[in-house]
Amino acid sequence: MNKWKKKQPATIKSFKRPTLSGDGFGGRAGFFLFRALTNIRQNVFVNVVTIGTITLALLIVSLFLLVFVNLENAAENWSERVQVTVYFDKELAPQDRSILREKITALSGVSRVSYVTRDEALKRFKSRLRGQDTLLEGVRAEVLPTSFEISLKRSHRETASVENFVTDLKRIPGITEVQYGEEWVRRFNSFLNFMRLLGALLGGFLVIAVIFIVSNTIKLTIYSRRDELEVMSLVGATSFFIKAPFLLEGLIQGIVGSSLSIVLLFGLYEAFLHNAGGFITFNPVTSGLNFLPLEYVGGILFAGALLGFIGSLTSLKRFISA
Amino acid sequence: MIQLHNVTLAYQQDASALNNINLKIGKGEFVFLTGPSGAGKTSLLRLLYGALTPNRGQVLIDGQNITRMAPSQISLLRRSIGVVFQDFKLLQNRTVFENVAITLEVLGWGRADIGKKTMHILKQMGIESKYNLVTQRLSGGEQQRVALARALVNDPKILLADEPTGNLDDANKNQILTIFKEANIRGTTVVVATHDRRLIEQSHKRLVTLIKGEVVEQVEKETAGDDKIL
Repeated sequence: MNKWKKKQPATIKSFKRPTLSGDGFGGRAGFFLFRALTNIRQNVFVNVVTIGTITLALLIVSLFLLVFVNLENAAENWSERVQVTVYFDKELAPQDRSILREKITALSGVSRVSYVTRDEALKRFKSRLRGQDTLLEGVRAEVLPTSFEISLKRSHRETASVENFVTDLKRIPGITEVQYGEEWVRRFNSFLNFMRLLGALLGGFLVIAVIFIVSNTIKLTIYSRRDELEVMSLVGATSFFIKAPFLLEGLIQGIVGSSLSIVLLFGLYEAFLHNAGGFITFNPVTSGLNFLPLEYVGGILFAGALLGFIGSLTSLKRFISA
Repeated sequence: MIQLHNVTLAYQQDASALNNINLKIGKGEFVFLTGPSGAGKTSLLRLLYGALTPNRGQVLIDGQNITRMAPSQISLLRRSIGVVFQDFKLLQNRTVFENVAITLEVLGWGRADIGKKTMHILKQMGIESKYNLVTQRLSGGEQQRVALARALVNDPKILLADEPTGNLDDANKNQILTIFKEANIRGTTVVVATHDRRLIEQSHKRLVTLIKGEVVEQVEKETAGDDKIL
């Protein structure tokens, strides 16, 4: 206070110690937020460009994720078909049946075990050959085998896991004939792995491209305002004081951009993809695509915020150190 | 107040912008730095507000060697130094008020005090009626007065000006010179780099001449016709 008073010449009206913005509620954080919002208002064009870039970039990533997640769901449904069947040439007594069922269930990776009697087997056989009754003439239940149908948990549907499971299964006394469609399982898993690798590669390139485009856009918008950084520095602003409003601005741009991308994605989904069952069927229940799960939506919002913040931080580092 | 001891500055290994400069400027002094283009005037001013660091020598402001200061200390130092330029360096998309208030915002003043103090300095500069205009709508003279208001609003100990009248007509030059003199009367040390001979001659202030990065002449001018070569 004394310092302030001492500096006052006689010709200037004396000012008492000023209230500092950090004195009140919210302090500097409130000031930085105010500054960031004012900057957005005063630099509408560059902010629209940045937010638009983030929106479009994240919309592309979101669309990719939407397709990828639905493909994963479809693969999940298809993998339900990975089933191991144990055949018996006689009808098992209820006691033997329950002992075997217990032993099979005790193996790791089993999700469901069901016993198919000869009558059930005949019923299925008939339903498959419906309309070709002549083929069924003379076929009686006694000639068909009984079986246990075993479904595996998702984590045990890989080729190697299924093979290990079958080996363990054959160790159970009384089990001799086991079938699980080796070739189909192998091909299906190869296809899944290929699809995931392709997805990871495409997704990776897409994310790198998005980071590159967004960070360069932010860099250009900050470059266009380098005078502001210079003036702030000239009047004695610390590095943090200069950066804070820009970082908040980047955060706001990121959140607004990612929110807009989610809104646009939802619009596209509702307009075109929601009931696209006519030409694309990934999910047998809904026929069409499902929207992104909530955790993915949250992830995209977070990624947008992070993109805006980190993009601003790295750009500022370059200009302020220069 | 300001002391330079054996200061040498080179932008590249073989070309020195300033060569073994020794200079003392006392508290409350008014000094003109002059010399042809490329003589080192701007470089010398940039050394004084910590925008450049010399390759050799010491720059003391108020007894503190600023060549050894951390960036955060340089920021604090700049709060007591006002700087104005030939091209004004105003934020074109902001109003006159906002351009001046930025200095006080950096100091952490509250909004009410910023409002009072900013309007006060704008009144002193004679541009209070334009407080709500964006600076790109002002004339050159008005823009320079906004830049001066921004530099003087926190009553700095030192005011540095780099060709402040370079873009102005005679009437505006006189107004700007008057503002410098008034700031000096209030106790601010003023250093003006210029090659405007008319401005120097009508001011009767100390003159330091630089040529090719060296101080070649220092003239103390208290009153007209009373020159004293140092």
